[in-house]
Amino acid sequence: MNVSTATVPGGRIVRQSWASRYGATLAMPAGIVVLLVLGTVLSDRFLSVGNLTNVLINMSIVGIIVVGMTFVFVSRGMADLSVPATVAVGGILVLMLDDVIGTWPAALVGVLVASLAGVVNGVLVGYAGLNPVITTLASGIIVLGIAQAFVGGVIVYGQDAAAKDVLTGRLFGVVPVIVLIFLLVALLGHLALARSVFGRWTYAVGSNPHATEASAVPIRLVKAGAFVLTATLAGLSGVLLGISLQAARPEIGTGYEFDAITAVVVGGVSLLGGSGSIPRAIGGLLFVTLLNNILILQGVPSEPQGMVKGALIAGAVALDVYLRRRGGRE
Amino acid sequence: MNAVRRAFDSDVFLGVVRYRVAIILVATIVVSASLVPGILEFRALSLSLDRISTTALVAVGLTVVLLAGKLDLSGGAILALSGITAIGLQEELGQVPAAVVGIGVGVLAGIVNGFLVVVLRINSLVATLASMLFFRALCHFITESRPFSGLDPLFGLVVSRPIEGTVTLRTIIFILLLVALHLWLTRAVAGRNLFAVGSNPVAAEASGIRANGYVFGTFVFAGTTAGAAGVIQSLSVNTGSPVFGESTSLLAIAAVVIGGTRLEGGRASALGTLGGLLVMAILTTAMEFSNVPAYIQNIVTGVILLLLILLDRFVSGKKGRNLSLTAFLRSVRRARRNPENERTHAP
Repeated sequence: MNVSTATVPGGRIVRQSWASRYGATLAMPAGIVVLLVLGTVLSDRFLSVGNLTNVLINMSIVGIIVVGMTFVFVSRGMADLSVPATVAVGGILVLMLDDVIGTWPAALVGVLVASLAGVVNGVLVGYAGLNPVITTLASGIIVLGIAQAFVGGVIVYGQDAAAKDVLTGRLFGVVPVIVLIFLLVALLGHLALARSVFGRWTYAVGSNPHATEASAVPIRLVKAGAFVLTATLAGLSGVLLGISLQAARPEIGTGYEFDAITAVVVGGVSLLGGSGSIPRAIGGLLFVTLLNNILILQGVPSEPQGMVKGALIAGAVALDVYLRRRGGRE
Repeated sequence: MNAVRRAFDSDVFLGVVRYRVAIILVATIVVSASLVPGILEFRALSLSLDRISTTALVAVGLTVVLLAGKLDLSGGAILALSGITAIGLQEELGQVPAAVVGIGVGVLAGIVNGFLVVVLRINSLVATLASMLFFRALCHFITESRPFSGLDPLFGLVVSRPIEGTVTLRTIIFILLLVALHLWLTRAVAGRNLFAVGSNPVAAEASGIRANGYVFGTFVFAGTTAGAAGVIQSLSVNTGSPVFGESTSLLAIAAVVIGGTRLEGGRASALGTLGGLLVMAILTTAMEFSNVPAYIQNIVTGVILLLLILLDRFVSGKKGRNLSLTAFLRSVRRARRNPENERTHAP
C-alpha cells in the first residue's frame, strides 16, 4: 500500500510542475530556516542554546494540544473551542487532589475528567451532527463554569514541589522533561494518524464523508474520537501546566485554542478536512513560536502578537481555499 | 419507538419547536416571577431591557447573518473596538463626531468580515474567529490593555437615562430596529431574497439573486450594529475598555437561537429574536437578584443554547412543510376535527 496516499488524499492524476510538487512540502522548512536566519541577524541573543530551549519549552504545552487539534481538522471537525476549559479542568483537578491521592493519580483523574468533556463534545458533534464551533463554544463555557463553581473562582495552589522538579527538570541535564513528553505525544499522534486504521479513517472521513460511510467506516465514531482525543490531550496539557506552575486558575487555558488553531492552519492542514499531518502542524507551531520569540526579542509588546495570529489564521486559510479551488479547476 | 417518532414528526410538535420562543418566554416569566418577587414590576422590566440593550444590538445584526446561513463571532470584539474609538477620539474630534467615527469603525470591521467570507471564501466561523482575535488584539494594542475614560461623563446619559421615567433611549433604539428588521424581512423583496439566499444560495443565484452581495451586506450590517452597540455601551459608562463584550457574542447567539433562528440558515425571525432577548433579559435579572454567580449564569446560557441547537437538529430534516402560523393553526384545527387523519397535509 502506498503510504503517500494518506498525506495527499484525493490525489488527482494531473501533471504537476516541480514547484507544486515540492512547494508544499518544502515551504514550511524553508520558512523556519528564514526565521532562524532573520532572528540571528536581528538579535545576538536569538541563536543561543538557552533561548532556543526556551522556545522549545514554550511550544511544548501548546504542542500537545496541536496534536489533538490536527485530528479535529483532518476529520473535517472544523475546530475545538472548548480547549481552554479542558486545560483548566486538568490543571485545577491535579492541584486540588494532589494532597489527597498523590500527584500522579491526581494527574490521571484530571486527564480522565477532561476526556469526559471530550466525550460530550464527541457525542454532540459526531453523533448528533451539531455545528462543531458553536457546540464547543457552548460546552467550553459550561465546563469552565463548572470548574469555576468547583473552586469558587479562586486560584488553587499545589503542595508537591517534588513533582514540579521532575517536570521542570532536564533529562541528562540537557533535554527538558516537558519537551520529551511533548515529543512522545507527537510521535504517538503521528503514528496514529499516519499508520493506524483509525488514522486512515480520519483522513477518509475528512475527504469524503459519504463515500466513507458507504465503505462501512464508523464515521460518527471517528469524528467523535477526534474531539475526545483533543480534550484528553488538552487535559494533559493542563495537568502539566498545573504541576509545573503549582498554581492554577480557571482562566489558565485562555488563548490556547487560538494558539493551537493558528499552528495547525499555518502548518497547512486544511480546514476543509482530509489533508495535513502532525509533522506539518508542528512545523506550523515552530514557525509561529519562533516568530513570537523574534518579536519579543525585538522588544515588540505582546499585544500585536494576537493581531499577527489573527492575520496568520485568515491568510493561511484563504491560501488553502484558493489552492483548493485552483486545484479543482485544473 | 415508532410512537415517539410519530410524536416528533407531528405538525403540532414541529409547530411547538417553531414557536418555542413564546413557550420559553412564558416559562421564564412564570419561574422568575415565582422565585423573585417584583421582577414583573415596570421598573424591574425596564431595567432588565436596558441591561440587555447592547447585546440586543449585536443580536439584531446576528439574526441577519444567521439567516444568510453564516455566523459572526467577532461582534464582541467589534463592540470593544468601536467603543474605544468613540471615547479615544473625543479630544481630537468632539463627542458626536467621535461617536460617528466609532460606528464607522464597526462598518469597516463588517467590510473586513465580508471580504474574508465572500471574496476569500473562508468559512464564516473561522474567518470571524480570526478577525475576532485580530480586533481584540488591536483593542489591547491601542489601549495598552488599560481601560480609559472620556471627557464628559454626563454626555452618555442621553442613551442610558430613562426617558420620562419609562425606558431608556438605547432600549427604544434596539426595539425599533428589530421592528424595522421584521418589516423588512417579511414585506420587502430584498428581505424575502435573503431567506432564499439562506436556504439555498445556489438556487437563489440561479433565480437572479446576487447571493454573494447579500452575504456581504449581512456582515456589514452586523458590523454596523455591533459598532453602534459599542459606541452606546462606552458612552453610557464613559469608558473605553479592551475587555468589553467578551461574553456578548455567545449571549447574542443564544438569544437569536431561542428566537427560532436556525444555525444552518434560511429561517429567522426578528420578532423571535426580540422574544429571545426578553428571555435572556429576564433570566439574567432574575439570576442576579437571587445572587447566582456569573459563571453559573454562563452555564445556564450554554446549556440553553446546546439544548436548542440539538432540538433544531432533530426536527430540521422535514422539508416541504408549511409551518407558518396560519398553516399551523389550520392543522391543529383539522387534527381536532378529525383525529385519525391528523397526518395528512394540504399540498
